[in-house]
Amino acid sequence: MMFKLDKKDFDHFLKDLLETHDLFAPVQLAEGVSVFKKIDNPGEVSLSQLVPQKSAKEVFFPQSEVMFRYQIAGNQGPTVSEQKIERERILLGARPCDIEAIAIIEKVFVGEDYTDVYFLEKRKKTTIITLSCNHPLTTCFCSSTGGSPFRREGSDLFLIDLGESYLVELLTEKGLIFSKNRFFKEVDPNDLTLVKELEEKAFEKVGYAIPVEGIEKRLDLMTESFFWDRSHEKCIGCGVCTFLCPTCHCFDITDEAVNLKGERVRNWDSCLFPTYSLETSGHNPRPTGRERTRQRLMHKFNYYPKIFGRVACVGCGRCIIYCPVQFDIREAIRYASSKRGEGLEGKFR
Amino acid sequence: MIQQKLQEKAKELLAKKEVDLVIGFSDWTLPLRTTPVFIRTPDGAKSLVWNSFCENNLTAYLHKFSRLKVGLVVKGCDARSVVALNLEKRFPNHPPLLIGIPCQRLVDRKKVKKAVKGEILQAVEQGDLLLVKGENFEVSLKRDDFLYASCRSCAHRTPHQAHILIGDPVEEVSLVEAHPDVSELEGMSPEERWTFFKKETGRCIRCYACREACPMCYCAECFVDSSRPKWIEKSLSPQDLAFYHIVRAYHQTGRCSGCGACERACPMDIRLTYLTQKLNQEVKDLYGFETGIRPEAPPPLSTFDPEDEQEFIK
Amino acid sequence: MPHPREAKGWKESSDNRPMKNPYLPIPMIVKKARIETSDRMLRTLELIFRHPEDEEKFQFVPGQFCELSVLGKGEAPFGIASSPTEKGSLKFTINKAGTVTSALHCLEEGSEIGIRGPLGNGYPIDLFEGKNLVIIGGGFAFTTLRSLVAYFLHRENRPRIKGITVIYGARMPGLLLYKEELLEWEKRDDLRLVTTVDWGDKDWKGKVGLVPNVLEEVAPSPEETYAVICGPPIMIKFTFPKLMALRFPNERIFTSLEKRMKCGIGKCGRCNIGHLYVCKDGPVFSYAQLAKLPKDY
Repeated sequence: MMFKLDKKDFDHFLKDLLETHDLFAPVQLAEGVSVFKKIDNPGEVSLSQLVPQKSAKEVFFPQSEVMFRYQIAGNQGPTVSEQKIERERILLGARPCDIEAIAIIEKVFVGEDYTDVYFLEKRKKTTIITLSCNHPLTTCFCSSTGGSPFRREGSDLFLIDLGESYLVELLTEKGLIFSKNRFFKEVDPNDLTLVKELEEKAFEKVGYAIPVEGIEKRLDLMTESFFWDRSHEKCIGCGVCTFLCPTCHCFDITDEAVNLKGERVRNWDSCLFPTYSLETSGHNPRPTGRERTRQRLMHKFNYYPKIFGRVACVGCGRCIIYCPVQFDIREAIRYASSKRGEGLEGKFR
Repeated sequence: MIQQKLQEKAKELLAKKEVDLVIGFSDWTLPLRTTPVFIRTPDGAKSLVWNSFCENNLTAYLHKFSRLKVGLVVKGCDARSVVALNLEKRFPNHPPLLIGIPCQRLVDRKKVKKAVKGEILQAVEQGDLLLVKGENFEVSLKRDDFLYASCRSCAHRTPHQAHILIGDPVEEVSLVEAHPDVSELEGMSPEERWTFFKKETGRCIRCYACREACPMCYCAECFVDSSRPKWIEKSLSPQDLAFYHIVRAYHQTGRCSGCGACERACPMDIRLTYLTQKLNQEVKDLYGFETGIRPEAPPPLSTFDPEDEQEFIK
Repeated sequence: MPHPREAKGWKESSDNRPMKNPYLPIPMIVKKARIETSDRMLRTLELIFRHPEDEEKFQFVPGQFCELSVLGKGEAPFGIASSPTEKGSLKFTINKAGTVTSALHCLEEGSEIGIRGPLGNGYPIDLFEGKNLVIIGGGFAFTTLRSLVAYFLHRENRPRIKGITVIYGARMPGLLLYKEELLEWEKRDDLRLVTTVDWGDKDWKGKVGLVPNVLEEVAPSPEETYAVICGPPIMIKFTFPKLMALRFPNERIFTSLEKRMKCGIGKCGRCNIGHLYVCKDGPVFSYAQLAKLPKDY
């Protein structure tokens, strides 16, 4: 089902939603810096940045999350309490790449044996309203990883910016609930033609940057390759790429306590930090940047595909834009794909 | 042309085996950026570049390559970091060979990005202009209007401490411009300053890009990772964010060269250099010490002098 | 490699929550605590369940581990030292090394502790059916091996295995774990136990020699035999080639790996070796499996 939503009605549309839902959308914290946050009024929403620094994974898997609180009192043992999600939620304004990434994380968090209840509860209670990418950036390569700037899978509603209005596609049961929304108007055929044009233009712009096909098999042969000895050199071992990456999902669990009260908290962690795999004995199975950058690339393009059949990268380009030393994952994959890293001298950076 | 001379010099050093490795900058995939590059063969030297986008402080890599003889491309600030590290005896075995380049001050790419509408596809320097092109625009900006805050207040652009100087030294001036953020905060009341600080650090995502980009942060165990005692939690609580930045700034006091690598590395555009620059100003006022200027001057915060003014010492 | 999947402690319960939270520890009480070694660094905790229904649901096999939780300090993974045949309590032997383990060393009898488990894959008991078993342990890595030995020494399980040979070594006599049990096992005729130390003392009457050398001496036959080896990296480094020299094939040598863990259920990502997680697909691996994985351990 399709409708049209005029931009002049957009804020009112959101205001209505805020009465019944918790709304998460990109918010500008400073010029050029956006994150996904819970908003209280429509004026906070900022859709101008195509790739907000922090991705939509924050909405389902917050950077800092209290798993449970406890209080120790007397001999009864501690009382443990968890937080429940009270209201229904809406994720507004994420791009197709971020939504594809949620599915990638979901495969790990919602497994056969164990379920990450914190993630699942949020996922179940959230209606996803995705925004298409009419003008992908040169750093975007979603089509190389199986996505596209107009990919609808995983979304409940899909918005396409037509200039003065949005075309709204209702894709799932959760989306169809909106079919009676008082701001939705009828679509006219010109709109559909415009959508087609925008879609084609966007596809053309993204192109096909890197050969991901068969990367898993090629990396199988490269576990001890000299490639890793050189490619890690410029990486400074910060967490920018992992924290901004919409598919990265590693976390650390710590207890924060004061006397008899406390919380067990989980925080994002990065395989590029040296302490990530550091054992109490002092032994570190990944002692240098060589092993750690190898872990990151192999996990995304070899280990994850082995288990789940697709690469754990959606081509959003955040790691390329925000890396302090411009480590370009596209070049790394291109290089690993082509010559298996041989003859590296002076050619790969 | 500095770039050409740099390439020739690097080629010569590698050919004569005076160094095992030259660390410099090279063009890479994005406009307004360069990337650190590690050259091991004379042939590879031709990929070295020098322009207003060479923003990293390559000194940070010396810790990783301490077993090799390294030729390091340094700007004025970077060379001062090396001097500061030498004071801390970081490179006893293989002191780096400094290839100094008098700096024309660097372009703040984030500021340029904000000045145009749309994605930047190409940026070319032409004299004191910066020609920036996008899909639907082409503008000519005055380079000097788009310099990094740390560069605007830089009074030590020539790396005099370098073994080799490529190009002519820049004239030293004692005060170019006070650090804009420091001036801004000095005009604020304590409550206003705290609000400013909280707003900036409130965006922090604890990625530690600032720490890793900094050549002076080389502790085997950072205070953040210490568990016994646990000084700080790992969460994004306001108190942890404030604590991290305050302590890191204090750990830099008298050691920071003001290169701005921390601020440039930050993905959330948090202003950081004002903290260390203010502290450095105080060190200058109290002890007459400026990081990396005089190689023989002892670091004031790790030196005891009976002439020290503070009463509690006596 | 088939594993008894029915031995899982977490099933969907009748909680009003749709899905049970795998991060919530179940409450246990410290029944007994004793120092195991002369250097006082190893302490065995015997834990009992606070709620009987939790005990009923807790089914495990030797080789599995649990995350022990000390509220306010954190969690850490420990191999279950008691056997499933030893009902009523769970035993863990803790090496004092960091924050959590120091807290575990300070727990008094009667205090409360949390547990999550059983986790991991455990030893491949069904593969061992009708075969001989050679168990080689070093230092305080003997915890899950105790579970394995006790399991097969139980009268119901002993007939399932042919010969059992146990070689257990420590640096000094005082550092051997489970000393009373070792004495009892020595008296049995349905297993061969060889304990050894690197340096003896005036009271030590047993063997003196490094584990790899003792293995060479004992020279168990690889025919129809599985080997399980657990110990510090240095011991494994020198013992493994001896097993190879005795012609044990990779597929029949198993080990239990350790890695830094947090969630213990394959979510937090950190304990992976290649595409396998030590907490979920391990910690027990055969050397044939490990040969195909990167040396990330």
